[in-house]
Order: sequence, then C-alpha cells, then structure tokens
Amino acid sequence: MNLPVQHLSDEALAAFADGALTDGARARAARHVAECAECAHAVAVQREAVWALRAAPVPALPGDLLERLRAVPSTTPLNGQPIAIDSDGSAVFPAFGTAAFAEPSDDRAEMSQRRGRPYGLLTAAAAVIALGAVGGAVAGTSDAGSGAPFAPATPPVQVQPGGGSTADLIVQPASATSIFARTVR
Amino acid sequence: MTDAVWVPPTWDEVVREHADRVYRLAYRLSGNRADAEDLTQETFVRVFKSLAEYTPGTFEGWLHRITTNLFLDMVRRRQRIRFDALPDDAGDRLASYTATPEQAYAERNLDPEVQDALDALPADFRAAVVLCDLEGLSYEEIAATLGIKVGTVRSRIHRGRVLLREALAHRAPGVRPSEPGVAAEAVL
Repeated sequence: MNLPVQHLSDEALAAFADGALTDGARARAARHVAECAECAHAVAVQREAVWALRAAPVPALPGDLLERLRAVPSTTPLNGQPIAIDSDGSAVFPAFGTAAFAEPSDDRAEMSQRRGRPYGLLTAAAAVIALGAVGGAVAGTSDAGSGAPFAPATPPVQVQPGGGSTADLIVQPASATSIFARTVR
Repeated sequence: MTDAVWVPPTWDEVVREHADRVYRLAYRLSGNRADAEDLTQETFVRVFKSLAEYTPGTFEGWLHRITTNLFLDMVRRRQRIRFDALPDDAGDRLASYTATPEQAYAERNLDPEVQDALDALPADFRAAVVLCDLEGLSYEEIAATLGIKVGTVRSRIHRGRVLLREALAHRAPGVRPSEPGVAAEAVL
C-alpha cells in the first residue's frame, strides 16, 4: 500500500485507527503519526467516534416485537412451501438446504415427541383468525410476491393453545409490515 | 428424520438467537423504535420466506445484509417521497408514530446525543459506521454487505466518524484519549 507522502489518506486513517493495516503499512503509518500532530489528531478523532458509539447503551428488544417475530410463520405466506408449526407455536423448518419434510405430518408428530409435549389443540376459532390474518398479510405485502396466491389449505397450520393471545399475536404484524409493501421483492 | 441427520433449528430458536442482534442493528441504523421494529419484522419475514436458500454458517451475514439493505431501501424511498410529493419533511418520520410514555422512556435510555449524531449521518455513511463500529464487521464483510469496494468502505467509515466526532465535540472530555500517539498503539 502506498501511503501519501505528506499525510495519511482518509482510508488509511480509518484502517490505521482500526488496526486493519498490514504490518508494513501499519509501521509506516505509526511512524508518521508519531511525528505528525495533524494525523495523530485525525486518528484520535476516528477512535473517539468509535468509543462514543460503543459507549452508548444497547437498545433492548421490545417484548411484543419478540412475540410478533415468533408468529412470523403463521403470518407469512410461503407460496406453497410446506411448513409445520409445533405444539408450542414454533415453526419447524421445511428445508435448510438439506432434507425437506416429505411428510410434514409425520415430522410434526416426531417433533412433538422429541419435545415431550402433547400436540397443541387447533381450535376452529383460532384457525379462522389465523387464516384471516394471513390473508391480510398477503394483501399488505404481496405486490411483490411471486404472484402465486397463498393457498391456506397447503400448509398444515397448527396453532398453539390459547386462542385469544394467539389471535393478538397474529393480527399485529400485518399492519406493522405495511410500510414495506412496495419494497418486498 | 433420524438422529444422524442434522436437525434444523425451530423458528423459535432462530428468533431467540438472532432477534436481539437484528433489532440492535435496525435501531442503530434507523434511530427510532418504530422503524427498528418494522425493519426487524421485515428482516425475519424475508428470512422465513428464503429459508430454502440458507446454507449453515452464513446466517449472521445474511441477517446483516437483509437488515441493512432494507434500511437503505427505506431511506431512499422516503427521500423520493419527500422530493416528489411533500412540501416539507415535517412529520415525515413521525407521521405514523407517536411515542407512548413507555416508548419515550425506552428511547431516552439510549444515549440520545450519540443516536442523534448517528441519525445526522448520510445513510450510506451511517450503515458503514454502524456495521464496523457497533456490529464489528470487517471492511471486507461490510463491502460484501453493501455491495461496494473496500476502499469505499474505508472512506465512508472515515468520513462518518469525522462527522460523528464533530457532532459530539462538546463531549470531548469523556471520549478523548489522554495521549493519542500512545493510544494509537495500545487500542484496538
């Protein structure tokens, strides 16, 4: 790397402050910084900005957002991709580049056994609410989608017990994602 | 499925493992809770829709890329809207968002000066700085995330930090190293 004769370039300043220069370039930059007040100050500015950023507290994930994220499988159309949802409301992935669930119902049963829990009840009321909410999500987000209409009958949707709270969780995301309606690809 | 087969994580496990990080990134980029929630939600929707494309080992980079690009899309769209249609930008960000007392408190818990300084950066600079200094990505990873050259990453980071430092100039005592020349060798 060729460093400018007079002063470190902007790129070199950032990389030097981050310790990202290779050995030779770092040694040359260090020699220059030791003798050049201007560049020493510029390096300090880089580091002070980093420290100020890192000293800022970390925003905490809102609890209701966490619940909406957990509900994404029940509120997101998958264009026919099979999806199983466990008895505790968690989704079981149909595919991860490896084996797809050829027989979702068997896998769901196995998953349920693995977790040692009884299968969740699918109440009629909850099912209606879930499908309605998915429809809303499609209306809100799918000018994008692949164009394939969501077929509610395809995925075996299993809803966790406790229809009331489930309904709340499912309904929220449709409006929350609506501002992205034109960006979904 | 048998025991010999890798068991994919459940959606719940994915959310538990990655939601904090995605939300933190979304918040640092967008600067407010409403947009951070929308960005986080949309990121996970994208992830859920594209699970078949996932290959183990790239999840975090994937999340960074989706979140950051959704943010940049959002900014560009709002700039277009502001330019094309709005007489002024008053209420642009606040139009659909009124903080409850609880939300306002949560947001004050952030360092408002730092977040304001971050918000004042051009979005492209902000993304580079946040990915580097708060998410700890390498220049190469940032270049891949943003689809730009490493040299551009460096210059954006440099410029972004300079602007940040200027915005926080009055805070000098708290962040200035005692001896820059020495700190230069000792830190990072």
